[in-house]
Amino acid sequence: MKLTEALEILKGIKSRKGEVFTCFLATGTNPLHLNTFLAAELSLLFAHLRIEIQQGLFGDFAGNLRRLASNEAHCGIVLMEWTDLDPRLGIRTMAAWSPSVYSDILSTVRARALEVQQAIEKACQRMPVVLSMPTLPLPPISFVPGWQASTFEIELKAALHSFASQVSQYAQVRILNPQRIDMVSPLQERFDVESELLTGFPYKLPHASALANLLACLTRRPAPKKGLITDLDDTLWRGILGEVGVDGISWDLDHYSQMHAFYQRLLGALSSEGVLIAVASKNELSLVEQALLRKDLAISANSIFPMEASWGPKSEAVARILKTWNVGADSVVFVDDSPLELAEVKASHPDVECIKFPTKDSLGVYHLAIRLRDLFGKSAILQEDTIRAESIRRSHAGLAAPERAKTTHANFLEQVEAEMSFNFSKSPLDPRALELVNKTNQFNLNGKRYTEAAWHNYLLDPESFLLVVSYTDKYGPLGKIAVAAGRREGMKLKIDAWVLSCRAFSRRIEYRSLEELFAKFGVEEIELDYLATERNSPLREFLAEILGGAPAPGCGISRQAFHARAKTLQEPKEMING
Amino acid sequence: MDEMEKRLAACFSAVLPELTSEEIPQASATSVKSWDSVATITLIAVVEEEFEISIDVEDPAQFDSFQQILSYLREGAKKTD
Repeated sequence: MKLTEALEILKGIKSRKGEVFTCFLATGTNPLHLNTFLAAELSLLFAHLRIEIQQGLFGDFAGNLRRLASNEAHCGIVLMEWTDLDPRLGIRTMAAWSPSVYSDILSTVRARALEVQQAIEKACQRMPVVLSMPTLPLPPISFVPGWQASTFEIELKAALHSFASQVSQYAQVRILNPQRIDMVSPLQERFDVESELLTGFPYKLPHASALANLLACLTRRPAPKKGLITDLDDTLWRGILGEVGVDGISWDLDHYSQMHAFYQRLLGALSSEGVLIAVASKNELSLVEQALLRKDLAISANSIFPMEASWGPKSEAVARILKTWNVGADSVVFVDDSPLELAEVKASHPDVECIKFPTKDSLGVYHLAIRLRDLFGKSAILQEDTIRAESIRRSHAGLAAPERAKTTHANFLEQVEAEMSFNFSKSPLDPRALELVNKTNQFNLNGKRYTEAAWHNYLLDPESFLLVVSYTDKYGPLGKIAVAAGRREGMKLKIDAWVLSCRAFSRRIEYRSLEELFAKFGVEEIELDYLATERNSPLREFLAEILGGAPAPGCGISRQAFHARAKTLQEPKEMING
Repeated sequence: MDEMEKRLAACFSAVLPELTSEEIPQASATSVKSWDSVATITLIAVVEEEFEISIDVEDPAQFDSFQQILSYLREGAKKTD
């Protein structure tokens, strides 16, 4: 982004209404244009919020850290450069350089790193904190020639790595990846010596822009994509299976097709991290099944479900996969080497992210892997991630049978030995609860999304409650699949957020949740902060059933009416689908 | 307004958005309230970016009007011709 563009963005959103997103920037440098870039990047990311960036005093890094630790912002950013850790590592000081001061500088850096750690530890109790380690080069302080790494410099960097390693373990801290900033901003083009001397702003504009972009990305947890649908021929492997046969396809160094193995390994890794992997291929199914039995495949065939191999349009295969997974098209990526197939899928599923597999372009495949990591990246792997694919596979097998047998809901749940557990604990804060609230679309009370700080503050209110529902049956656990949050007001319970994962539909979890809330709080009425969204029709239909009519904003249901309706709705009826 | 003036006016519009297009050619640090030292530094950065030049700024105060910056750019253009 150019500075002019950033200024234009800020000019365009001056009149933006809505909630304020406050970010406290703790740095010892003069943030000047970085502030502008950061505000513009945040404005693009948080399209409905007004952005406010607070900063401390120029040159007072320690004081700014203290200000951050006691600040009420929605997010904190700690931007440190070497000069913040010891001014002797900058160019604005008059202090002498000599080998005799190395150990003192090292001690100062270690002590300052500890202060930073303490401030971050305090601040991250209330807000997510983003940390950027020094991005500017060390000055030529060491006596060795520039092409040789000095012990002093290595020890300085080791001290910081040790500090970063400890800070990275705090739940609400995200550290800017030095490898990514190195990729987008060459080291020799970062430091603006003139500007550092003139204003205390040490960055060249392209570096400030790159830094602001990455810092802004780190201020929020984007919902990662959930599933990847891959083509096979010239994508998962090199060669056309139908032409060269099972032994003719390859993914190895000998056939110059190793990057297909690299792609397979990445898909295997994504699968083990909870990403759903499916195949959409124009092939004979029996031939594909044989190919996937090859022992040298770098991804387990068990990681792939469902397998759509046929001669029909790929858009139809994608539609069937989306139905099996029961996820929205916007959380899915489709990878194929054919621009025609990509266009055909895109035309039918505009929300699916379609990416070309660059066959015979090794560097292109490497870059594709980086892009896929960004699309599917998450900060932590939860238990639900590790069981997702298996539970879909089991559900699919388990739910298909009763469908044929016209089993009733009640019978079905008995047959599958369904068990639900209801947890009302607010502490420690369960990251899965916010993840569910922020990524669920279909069974979602109002579509409201929360920043981490807003969610944290909401639950800090002693009047608020949080319900997290877990589900398991004989086909295996689904993990935590529903969340309700609200407040008690006299004999009424107000629900502000209520979501149910689409994987857990048709299990009467929504009924049991309401039952549990009536029982737990002993209230006579539950009021729902309902709002229709483009995608919450499953929630709307459930409310219509339970209320006996179309829901309206702020609708409520009494205990008596709920029990009467729930009983009627439990009467046997044919099960439609899973 | 020639091409160079138009591009410089766009820089001014980005940094000092309250100025109308008629006010920009007459703008100076003394006549525009919001034109402070930060605005000067930002203007210089934006001009450097727009015209892909490096401005040697010993004293940023000399860049305190639209016309002065325009003259500076014209001088630079003459030297490179």
